[in-house]
Amino acid sequence: MTLELRDVSKRFTGIVAVDHVSFQARAGEVTGYLGPNGSGKSTTMKMITGLIEPSDGEILFDGQPIRNDLLGFKRRMGYVPEEPHLYSHLSGLEYLIMVGQLRDLPTRPTAERIDGLLRLLSLHGDRHVPMSSYSKGMRQKVLLSAALLHNPDLVLLDEPFSGLDVSTSLVLRSLIQELAARGKVVLFSSHELETVERVCSHVVILHRGKVVADDSIERLRTLMALPTLEEIFSQLAVEQDTVAVSREIADLIRA
Amino acid sequence: MDAELLAASARGDASQLFGQFAALLVFLSVGSLWGAGMYAGTVRTPAEALAGAWSQEHSMLTMTMLVVGIFAVFSWDSTFPDRRDVLVLAPLPVRGRTLFTAKIAAVATALGLTVLVLNGLSAFAWALALAPDGVGILGNLRFIAAFWVALPSAGIFLYCAILGVQGVVAQLSRRWYLRASSFLQIGAFGLILGVFLLEPSFTTAKALGAAENQRVLAWLPSYWFLGLVNALSGAYPDSAMTSLARRAVAGLAIAIFFAGGAYLLSYFRTLRKIVEEPDILPGAHGGMWLPRFGSSPKTALAQFAIRTLGRSRQHRMNLAFYVGVGFALVTLIITPVEDAKRLAGIDVLRQAMNVPMLLASLMVLCLCVLGTRVSFSRPLDLRANWLFRMMPMRGGEVCLSATRRALLALSVFPVCVGCAVLFLRYWPWVAVAKHLLLFGLFGGLLVELLLIGFRKIPYTCSYLPGKSKIHVMVLASVALLPLALINCVEFERWVTADWLLYGAAAAMLAGAGFAVRRYTSRDLELSGEIQFEEFAADELIGLGLE
Repeated sequence: MTLELRDVSKRFTGIVAVDHVSFQARAGEVTGYLGPNGSGKSTTMKMITGLIEPSDGEILFDGQPIRNDLLGFKRRMGYVPEEPHLYSHLSGLEYLIMVGQLRDLPTRPTAERIDGLLRLLSLHGDRHVPMSSYSKGMRQKVLLSAALLHNPDLVLLDEPFSGLDVSTSLVLRSLIQELAARGKVVLFSSHELETVERVCSHVVILHRGKVVADDSIERLRTLMALPTLEEIFSQLAVEQDTVAVSREIADLIRA
Repeated sequence: MDAELLAASARGDASQLFGQFAALLVFLSVGSLWGAGMYAGTVRTPAEALAGAWSQEHSMLTMTMLVVGIFAVFSWDSTFPDRRDVLVLAPLPVRGRTLFTAKIAAVATALGLTVLVLNGLSAFAWALALAPDGVGILGNLRFIAAFWVALPSAGIFLYCAILGVQGVVAQLSRRWYLRASSFLQIGAFGLILGVFLLEPSFTTAKALGAAENQRVLAWLPSYWFLGLVNALSGAYPDSAMTSLARRAVAGLAIAIFFAGGAYLLSYFRTLRKIVEEPDILPGAHGGMWLPRFGSSPKTALAQFAIRTLGRSRQHRMNLAFYVGVGFALVTLIITPVEDAKRLAGIDVLRQAMNVPMLLASLMVLCLCVLGTRVSFSRPLDLRANWLFRMMPMRGGEVCLSATRRALLALSVFPVCVGCAVLFLRYWPWVAVAKHLLLFGLFGGLLVELLLIGFRKIPYTCSYLPGKSKIHVMVLASVALLPLALINCVEFERWVTADWLLYGAAAAMLAGAGFAVRRYTSRDLELSGEIQFEEFAADELIGLGLE
């Protein structure tokens, strides 16, 4: 099983958000998808999920273009979006039941699975509470549960650690690796380079909509003769002299 | 009309909606202007002139109070800062006082514009038409001034009274305030509409002075301000009017004092409470149980619609508006029947298939179905729609079927049950069953008709209020709905007299419902996908060439 992007581009009224991006994410490994703000990561994720259509190129899963059978593809995919936008008048439990029903999953096993996920993610006590009063981390846990509820073959995680507490972050870190070890394709986008370095075996770095690196972290380290992913990333995707900018900001607010 | 409805996230077209409201108010004002011209051109006796003047003054006051009352109900909460205001502005060096003052200024401007647009033309024209002959320019100016003091005063009185109630309730914990608000808002709306439609008419000196009417007059603010107009204009001096004018001044002072006091209390307490207290506390019990509505995806969508309507205050208010109008019209239909029973001992309601009850039930059914369908069109949170967009769901047919079932469950079913319970008290069960069968089939047909072209999941599609053409809808409903329903009732009475005709009518309704349903399904097959945006994205892409 492989997720493959071939020459995928996305243009928004004259602005090229994603520019001829090609890479593969394979089953059994965690692919990190990195890039500065505005580099096109979330746009790529939305194209893979079918939320927006590519302007050019092809997205394939398991060797088949996803547009040939988009419904079939959606059945096999789980997605945690960047922003935790949920229907906040529903409780966590109601939301997950609704997701299960929309996916047409069998009622009883799904109810047991939801119960288990809520317990393991420490949400069981708040399962009847409307999500309007959930913290960002709790919402993120609901999104994660909804994404995994149907045991997807492809897991797309867009900033999944956002708002999570330390212990849940550690659980999620292990979970990502466990999912990959069980043969799933995991595409994982994050700004937390340290986490990416620990979790991912393969990274794709995006800069201004274009892929500037696509390799294993190990090979990138060797090729670029740099010890950490942070330094690799800085060299490939950071244009500013960060120290100089921070000095300028401090000077500016003092003036 | 409603802050969330017009929020940027909902892509509400505020200017267009306000423009349409203004057009509706200007239309009323111009219509009134025409009436003033007609009135001025006729010759009448002094007694007729007096009754005409008081009747018109009273109708302008009640209309102003209705419009301001609806404004106050729909802008419930907007005078108080909300959580977003506090969280955004509190870290900035903005004083609480500034925040409150800005809120009051915004509301006062909107309120002032509403009264001005409604009465801008008519208040001048009627003042000139109603002024007694021979009062001269100064007398006319005094009449105009009296109008322009009394009309805004009536509006301010009502707005302050409602604001004061809100201020008092705001002293409760934040959670209880929000819970109580939803009931109070609907209650206030029903009260304002009910008073407007059912208020007795006392526009002669005899009726105003009668001892038996004094208790009722003491509770009807519109008559207090009628007294104020007359006391200020000095055109038709009357002792009863003077006493009512005193009551108006006292009422206005109390309302302003009450609202000011409650508002000041909130000034000291609400800001802190908004930040410290959660809007909703953890529930100890399970969620709301709902039945299944067919397959799992259909169940999910129908239950989503029912839960949204049950929990979203904004959508409940949309529905309450229609239901409130329905019940007010029902009261208007039933009251004369009850009066006749009291006076002549004729119990019309106990006669099977009587016109008032048939008409009342049809009126409530139509407005409930229409109100629910309209509420389905308003989005709840567009940003959360990604969930439905990425579900492996074969869109259109599932969605249409779920929407149909939700609409039936939320409107036709409860109205049928309510009617069955009520009618069984008055009619033999055969008559009730005969009516309910036709009634249910009519409800089903209405649902099918309202779903033509609907390719949305309830509460998820962006909504442009300007598109609803509310001014045209309101006028068409007022003019056409009662007329159409009276014909329906006559038809029902005719067919229920004969079993053959009855069977044919039932078959006709069922057939019509089925035909519309097939048409809608075929239309859906042709045009396919679920709609999440009121307007599709532009096909043309700008090249950005300079």
